[in-house]
Amino acid sequence: MNRLHPLGKLLVCVFYIVTVASFHKYALSQLILMAVYPVFGFIVGELSLKEGLYRMRLILPLVVFVGIFNPFLDRNVLQYSFGIPITGGMVSMVTLMLKGFYSVLAAYILIATTSIDEICYALRLIHVPRVMVIVIMLIYRYFGLMGNEANRIATAYKLRAPSQNGIHYKAWGTLVGQWLLRSIDRAEMVYESMLLRGFKGDYVIPRRKVKPVSMIYPIAWILIFIVIRSGLINIF
Amino acid sequence: MHMADALVAPAVAGTMYVLSASAAGVSVNQVKKEDDPKKIPVMGVMGAFVFATQMLNFTIPGTGSSGHLCGGMMLSAVLGPFAGFLTMIGVLLVQCLLFADGGLLALGCNIWNMAFYGCFVGALLIWKPIMKKGATKAKIALASILGCVLTLQLGAFSVTIETLLSGVTELPFSVFLASMQPIHLAIGFVEGLITTAVLIFVYEARPELLWGIGGTNEGRVTDKEGKLSLKNTVIAIAVAAAICGGIVSLFASAFPDGLEWSMEQVAGTTELEAEGGAYDAAAGIQETTSLLPDYAFKNSESAAGTSFSGIVGSLVVVGVMVGASYAFKFFKKKDGSASAA
Amino acid sequence: MHTGIHGELLKIEHLSFSYEKGQQVLNDVNFMAHDKESIGIIGANGIGKSTLMKLLVGLYLNYDGVLEVAGHQVNKKNLNHIREHIGYVFQDSEAQLFLSTIEDDVAFGPRNYGLSEEEVEKRVTEALEKVHILELRKKQTYKLSGGEKKLAAIATILAMEPDIIIMDEPSIALDPRNRKNLITILNEISSLKLITSHDLDFIMDTCERTVLLDEGRIIADGATKEILSDRELLEGHGLELPLRLQ
Repeated sequence: MNRLHPLGKLLVCVFYIVTVASFHKYALSQLILMAVYPVFGFIVGELSLKEGLYRMRLILPLVVFVGIFNPFLDRNVLQYSFGIPITGGMVSMVTLMLKGFYSVLAAYILIATTSIDEICYALRLIHVPRVMVIVIMLIYRYFGLMGNEANRIATAYKLRAPSQNGIHYKAWGTLVGQWLLRSIDRAEMVYESMLLRGFKGDYVIPRRKVKPVSMIYPIAWILIFIVIRSGLINIF
Repeated sequence: MHMADALVAPAVAGTMYVLSASAAGVSVNQVKKEDDPKKIPVMGVMGAFVFATQMLNFTIPGTGSSGHLCGGMMLSAVLGPFAGFLTMIGVLLVQCLLFADGGLLALGCNIWNMAFYGCFVGALLIWKPIMKKGATKAKIALASILGCVLTLQLGAFSVTIETLLSGVTELPFSVFLASMQPIHLAIGFVEGLITTAVLIFVYEARPELLWGIGGTNEGRVTDKEGKLSLKNTVIAIAVAAAICGGIVSLFASAFPDGLEWSMEQVAGTTELEAEGGAYDAAAGIQETTSLLPDYAFKNSESAAGTSFSGIVGSLVVVGVMVGASYAFKFFKKKDGSASAA
Repeated sequence: MHTGIHGELLKIEHLSFSYEKGQQVLNDVNFMAHDKESIGIIGANGIGKSTLMKLLVGLYLNYDGVLEVAGHQVNKKNLNHIREHIGYVFQDSEAQLFLSTIEDDVAFGPRNYGLSEEEVEKRVTEALEKVHILELRKKQTYKLSGGEKKLAAIATILAMEPDIIIMDEPSIALDPRNRKNLITILNEISSLKLITSHDLDFIMDTCERTVLLDEGRIIADGATKEILSDRELLEGHGLELPLRLQ
C-alpha cells in the first residue's frame, strides 16, 4: 500500500469519510458494511489497531458529549428486538460513534501508509497553493524539533520547581517569549540556508509516475462506497 | 474545540470548506502581494512553535487546572492576519493527519472556527484598531484577552451551529449553546492571559517583531503615562468576563435540570431551531428520506436500516472482508518473497 | 559548477562593514584565496568571523570595499550567480535541513537550479557518497544523530558542486569519532574551503593556511603550522595553543 500513488490514497480517504458522514443517523447496517475499508486497510497495511484506537482520544470528548444524550432525547421506538424496544436515539448514538471511529481509522490508514511529503505532493496536484504546501512541510519538519525543545524547557523548569504542577503564571511570558524569539531567529537561519541554495519563493517537487494499479485502487474503492451508500446491496 | 468528522454532514462540511478556501485564497494572494519570501520559513517555524507550546502546561493561579496558548491571536500578532491564517491552516492539517485532532472532512469547519476568527476577527477587528496609535502593555493585554475570548466564543458558537445543522445530535440548540459558551469563556480568558504574557515579553525584547503596531516612538507611551495600566486592564476584563459568565450560567441554570426540562418540552419539536436555506440544502443532500424525525417510522420501511437481519448481514460481509484481506496479504507476501528469491 | 578559474576565487580588498552606525564589525580586511586551498579562520567569540562569512555569500550587501567571488562583485544583481559558486554549511544543522527526508533536502539546491531529475539524482547520490551516508538517504531528518545531521548538511552543499565551501564551526558538538570522520571527509573534498572554528586542533588537521581575526581586522595570515604554534600571538588574541602542542 505504501507504493500506491498518494493522490489515489488521499482521494479514497476523503471519499470514504464523506460517504460515512453522509449516512442517515438510523442507517446502522449500511454503516457497519462500511467497515470493509478500514478492515482492508488495517490488515493489508499491517497497521496496529491499538494505535488507531488510541488516536480516538482527542475527538472522543466532543463526540460523546454530542451523542450521549440522543437515547434520552429521541425515545421513539423504531422496532422491538427480542422484546426490547430499540429507540431512534440508541441507534443514532451508535451510528455517531461509528462515524467517529471510521473517520479516525481512515485518516490513520492514510497517514500510516503515506508520508507527509507524499501528501503534500498530492495536495500540489490538486492545486493547493505552493505557499500552503511549503508551510505544511516546514511545520511538519520543525514540529518535532520544537516538541523536543518544549520538553527540555518543561524539564528544566520542573527540576527547579519540583512542587509545581505546571508553569507558574509569573514565568509564562519570559519562558515562552524567550523560546519564541529563539524560534524566530531559527526561522531566519532556515530562510538564509534556503536562500543560499537557490530558493526563490518556490519549491520544486519532482513528478511521480502513475502506475495502473494506482488508478484502479481509488476507482474500485469509490465504486464500492457508492454501491454501499446507494443501498444497492442492502438486500437483507 | 476541534470538530470531528463524525459531527458534520457533508453539506455542512462542504459549505465550510468553500468559505475557508475563499478566505485562504484571499490570504494566499495577500501573502503573494507582500512578496516577502522571508515570511515563508517564519510561517513554518511559527506554526511548529504554536503546535509545540500545546505540550506545555500553564498552571492557572488559584485553580488546579491548566491552559494553553491562543494560537490564532499569537500567530497574527507576529505574522499578520493573512500569513497567520495560512499558518493556522497548516497547523490544523498537520494536527488532523498526525494526531487525529479534528478530521479531514471537518477541516473546513475547524479552519473557520479557529483560524478564521482567530486571525481575521482577532487581528483585523481587535488587534489592529487597538494598536493603531502604538502599543502599550495594557493595550496588548486588552487586545489579547479580548481577542482570545471573542474569537473562542465565535468558534464555540460555530461548532454548535455546525453540529446542529448536521443533524447528528438530539440536543436542543439552547442546551448545547449554554454548555459550549461558558466553558469557552473561561478557556478564552486563560488563553488570553498566556498570550498577553508572551506578547508583552516580545514587545519588550523585540517590538519590531509585532505586526500592525501603528504610530512612531511617540506612540509608545509608557504604561504610567497611558490611560490604561496593565493590571487594571486585566482586572477590568476579568470582572467583565465574570459578569458575563455569571449571566450566562444563571440563564442556563434557570432551568435547574436543563436536560430533563428539555427532554419533556423540546424533544420532538426542536431538534433544530434553525430554518431556511443552509439547513434545507443540507437536508436535501443528506438523505432522501425525511431528516426531521417526525417519528412516523415505527415499523415502517425507513426502519429497515436497523432491522436485526440487516445488521447481521452487514456483519457477515465485514467478516468475509477480514478473511479476504488476510488472504490478499498472504498472497501478496508470497508474491513478494517469490520475486525476491 | 566548476568554472575552471585558477586565479583568485575570493578577492577581498579594504572590506569594512558595520550593522549599525558606529559599531564597526570588520575594518579594512584584505584577503585572497585560490582554488583548492583550505583555510582556517580563527578568532575569539564575536570578532566578526561569522559576519565575514555571511558577507561572502551576499547575506549582507551594504559593505564598503571590494568583495569578489569567482570573479563577480558581490551585489544584488550577481547574487544568483555568486550563490552557484559558493556553499555555506551552517553551524546549526537543524537550520540547514528543513525538508523531511535527507534525499529531498540534498536535492533541494540542484532542483532550484533547474537541473533535470536524472542530474539531480546523480548529484544526490554523489554528494551522499562523499560524506559516506548514502545508506541514510531515505531517512527522516529528525531521526538522525548530531553527527549524521552535520554530514547531511554538508551533503546538501556538495550536491550543488560549489567552487567554494564555507563551514561555520563544523566540529562543534561532535563526539571524537564523528569529529575524526569529518576530518577525513573534509580532506577528501577538493574545493576551496573556508572553515571557521575555535577548535584549533581541528583546524590543524584540515587547513594548510590560517587567518587570525581580532576586532574586525586580520592579525595574521599564513601557514597553519606557524600560526598555531605561536603561543604569544594566540594568547594575545583570546586563543590558546592547540591541545596537542600544549
